[in-house]
Amino acid sequence: MTLPARRTPIRSVSFAAAAAEHLDDVYGYLVYLTRDRTLAEDLAAETFEKALKLWKRYDPRRASARTWLCQIARTTALDWFRAEERRRRREESVARPDVIEMAASEGLSPELETALASLSAGEREVIALRVLLELDGEEAARVLGISPTAVSTRLSRALTKLEERMAVHV
Amino acid sequence: MSEPLLDQIREAKPAASPELRSRIRALEAEAPSARRSRLASLHLRPGRALALAGSAAVVAALGAGLVKGLTSEPQSQLGATGAGQGTTGLDQSVGSPTGAPESATKEALAPTGNLGAPATADALAPTPGRLQRFQAEMRLRVADLEELSGATKRAMQIAQSLRGYVVSVQYDAPAQGVGGAQIVLRVPTARVQTALTQLSALGTILGQRIGIEDLQQPADDLTSQIEDTQRQIAQLRLQLARPTLGDEERAVLQARLTESRRQLSDLRASLGGTRAEARFATIQLGLTTERIEPAAVSDSRLDDLKEILAWEGTALLYLLVLAGPFVLLGVLIWLALKLRRRSEEMRLLERA
Repeated sequence: MTLPARRTPIRSVSFAAAAAEHLDDVYGYLVYLTRDRTLAEDLAAETFEKALKLWKRYDPRRASARTWLCQIARTTALDWFRAEERRRRREESVARPDVIEMAASEGLSPELETALASLSAGEREVIALRVLLELDGEEAARVLGISPTAVSTRLSRALTKLEERMAVHV
Repeated sequence: MSEPLLDQIREAKPAASPELRSRIRALEAEAPSARRSRLASLHLRPGRALALAGSAAVVAALGAGLVKGLTSEPQSQLGATGAGQGTTGLDQSVGSPTGAPESATKEALAPTGNLGAPATADALAPTPGRLQRFQAEMRLRVADLEELSGATKRAMQIAQSLRGYVVSVQYDAPAQGVGGAQIVLRVPTARVQTALTQLSALGTILGQRIGIEDLQQPADDLTSQIEDTQRQIAQLRLQLARPTLGDEERAVLQARLTESRRQLSDLRASLGGTRAEARFATIQLGLTTERIEPAAVSDSRLDDLKEILAWEGTALLYLLVLAGPFVLLGVLIWLALKLRRRSEEMRLLERA
């Protein structure tokens, strides 16, 4: 399967322009990662707060603004997951955190939505990066901190799993 | 996976709500000047900073070598002899460690009839078993003032190592121009060949003169005179021992005895001086530099540069050997931490 790559051209942009251009991307990525729209909004806001503070260190020659923002979003989400796990341990709760499923009214079929929800966050994020945001292999690898080959493998497994779950639900 | 399904995912891309957009815009409003500055582009990542530091170190090392090679003044390395401060010549006399007589040195420097044309030291060697005055002059050329300093010190060391001594040193190392040194050494005659061989290695031989004066005959004459005087003294003592000797005659004999004793003392001193003269050979060593050609300067500085770079390479190697294990350990720890963090992230994402 060949996925199209949409690269942001290397240019010096302002934070405002980058935020306006990539807010949906960051938000969509976080929705797929957390399966919680409210949480994704909070994490997106936190992501852009961090990005604003770190904007002086951003180097457009190294990565596109979208890739850079997704890296920050991922770190922010992982921090939240860690905090959530610590909280769960403190409360000795064995139940998974309350998660609001992605709304069906956003355009996904119920089968696809259910199948996506059954995937792990790791699987969903690679689908979000490569399919939803249409990052190329190298950009996705940079966000995930792994090699492009590993991204390809992880995406292939996630899509196969998604297809299998879809078949079960159909 | 079917393309329509992927299209469905793309088309159903979640969009940020107007509230979220407002929140982000509010962030921008709070910090309107948060634009990427030109200075920010100079921010260095650790890897690039490391590479830059390494490059800078190499450039600095090369630069230091070049600067050292191009600007080094030979005079600056003569500090140990005190001759690096300008045109002041150094006239240094070194005392005799063995207490041997030095008064005859200047006279010995004058060429005698025995001093001939340049010849090898081996051709004219002192004859074992005979008292001889051995004199040698040697003129050497050294490359520059730095070598002049080294050769001067080395010549003094050679004399001392052969149980000889330095009679005098005249050292002249001007800031510019030709430098030179005149060294007078005295070494045991039995070791003069060794001394000449070692001294000739200090530079290029420009000339060499060797003179040998036989002292055996004068020494024999003196010995004979001493024996005569001793016999004379013995006879005078016998005469003075006679009881029938008159006062006037006794006084004359007593005066002759005193004179003979003084003469004997002088003869013995003279014989001692001759023998001492024969025990030590005098070597006058002349060192000089010539005006160095520009090509030679370049070669010399290139050699300096090579030497400095070699030294720096050695130092770098030592540093690598010393720091290598620590760097390796650091890298391993860093990799382990990275692996641990990644596995923790995967675990978190699997659970989420």
